[in-house]
Amino acid sequence: MNALRLGLCAAASLSLAALTACGGPKPIDPHRQIGPNPYLPDIHQYLMPPMHVPKITPWGGATPTVAPGLQIQALASGLKNPRSVYVLPNGDVLVAETGGPKAPINRPKEFIMNLIEKQAHSSTKPGNRILLIRMGPDGHAGAPTVFIDHLHSPFGMVLVGNDFYVADTDAVRRFPYQTGQTSITDPGVKLTDLPGGPIDHHWTKSLTASSDGTKLYAGVGSNSNITENGMPAEYERASVWEIDRTTGAHRLYATGLRNPNGLQFEPTTHVLWAVVNERDELGPDLVPDYMTSVKDGAFYGWPYSYYGQHIDPRVMPQRPDLVAKAIPPDYALSSHVAPLGMVFSTGANLPAAYRGGAFVGEHGSWDRSALNGYKVVYIPFTDGQPSGTPQDVVTGFLVGDNKVHGRPVGLAMDGGGGLLIADDVGNTVWRVTAAGKP
Amino acid sequence: MPNDTPRSTARIGGHPIHPMLVPIPIACFVGTLVTDLVYWKTAAIMWADMSAWLLTVGLVASIFVGLAGLIDFLGDRRVRALRPAWIHGLGNALVVVLSIFNAFVHSRDAYTSVVPTGLILSTIVVLILLVTGWNGWAMVYRHGVGVRAEDRS
Repeated sequence: MNALRLGLCAAASLSLAALTACGGPKPIDPHRQIGPNPYLPDIHQYLMPPMHVPKITPWGGATPTVAPGLQIQALASGLKNPRSVYVLPNGDVLVAETGGPKAPINRPKEFIMNLIEKQAHSSTKPGNRILLIRMGPDGHAGAPTVFIDHLHSPFGMVLVGNDFYVADTDAVRRFPYQTGQTSITDPGVKLTDLPGGPIDHHWTKSLTASSDGTKLYAGVGSNSNITENGMPAEYERASVWEIDRTTGAHRLYATGLRNPNGLQFEPTTHVLWAVVNERDELGPDLVPDYMTSVKDGAFYGWPYSYYGQHIDPRVMPQRPDLVAKAIPPDYALSSHVAPLGMVFSTGANLPAAYRGGAFVGEHGSWDRSALNGYKVVYIPFTDGQPSGTPQDVVTGFLVGDNKVHGRPVGLAMDGGGGLLIADDVGNTVWRVTAAGKP
Repeated sequence: MPNDTPRSTARIGGHPIHPMLVPIPIACFVGTLVTDLVYWKTAAIMWADMSAWLLTVGLVASIFVGLAGLIDFLGDRRVRALRPAWIHGLGNALVVVLSIFNAFVHSRDAYTSVVPTGLILSTIVVLILLVTGWNGWAMVYRHGVGVRAEDRS
């Protein structure tokens, strides 16, 4: 019976090993992963990745906390999943109430993942529409009205002349717009299809336009964490599309960007920038999310490698030829902060310390035992490049370590020079201004 | 020679439940090895997905198979007296533990959900199943566990 006892012992010690293996490495200080040269630890592949999703608790009259010299107020609350904000030239604020399409279940893990996603997001059914909020001269806002209804997971918005463009998850649509108009009933026309369902893993399509108005730029996220839905599902994804505004023809402007959002032209150098969500399940400190200038024709690594030539062993077949071309991004924001919004600070209303750089909305981590993100930070820029460390501008979305009031997503500067923040868990749009100013 | 065969306790209408259900996890775990091998050779993600489903179904079925087997094991002292019963039971417990591990490995994303750890675990599981299967058959066909005495004589 010795063999049997041995078997029993083996089973017992294996179970024990399983339990200890779930922990993985301890998270490091996120500050080591901020800036142009982040510290990159060794890869750790889990048996079960840590899941830490704080419980949603309504704001209930509370507000986020702002840095000294600033004030914050709710521009609109009780919304249905506000995820992005855009400001029209006349000062009207547009809010996309949106959510992702229903995710298919291709393997048992996705049951679990869908349950966790539900925990992390508001239970409010997304509006799938764009609301308009008219701003008064004193910073007071009117009640939201419906600007465009019946959209399909809208996210990106941009106005060029009298053409208003919406990036639904599966198409860029164009609507006629006249200054002052408060609702559009015209059905619009499709400028181009975008990669959408049936899988549509990263569904938010960010949108901006070149300064001469001839081209649109759309962020098209990958269709998986790391190719687990197969390479055919990644066709023309993980890239920034350049779309001709008259013909709708497109080319891939830059590739290897896992989930690019917050597309914006830097106002002094007119270079395109984006914030990018990097891959999960390689450890609490891999891979740092980042902001980067998006260079024409550049390849940023996904899925084959990260931060240049750091190879991801989960991708097969590997492509050494592409890895050799991969360039590192400009500025790491630390791991799993989930930056989903970015705006360059153009407002004269904010204190001088918040001018010329970029605000980044960090939606916050779910797969890291010590939470990271859940705030809006400001990164100063000099000569079109980040200079100095990010400063916390808006915090207080988290209460302690296990409760969350809200999660910041899309950002915009409004006509009065205030910073707008879409909070898709608190179902609120927040407005940050200099203390004492409207 | 009445009542000389060890009895099956978990049975429906005189039919032992354990042998009715046991083909399900066996087929699933053998199938996992096959789809793992195909994924290893093709890197076509469909096969890795198939492995994950087979493992899950195999493990869920194992709950019922294991319970029925355990009831039979505990239900008759004559079953516990058989050496093949111990090899069969403990070996299959190891199969379940390894397959739980394997399901976690298969929950990783893309290639390393299978190669190499998943593939190795699937192979070990099938090798153990050969031993436990052989001993399971010995319990029935040599020692008559769950077989009615009058049918044997």
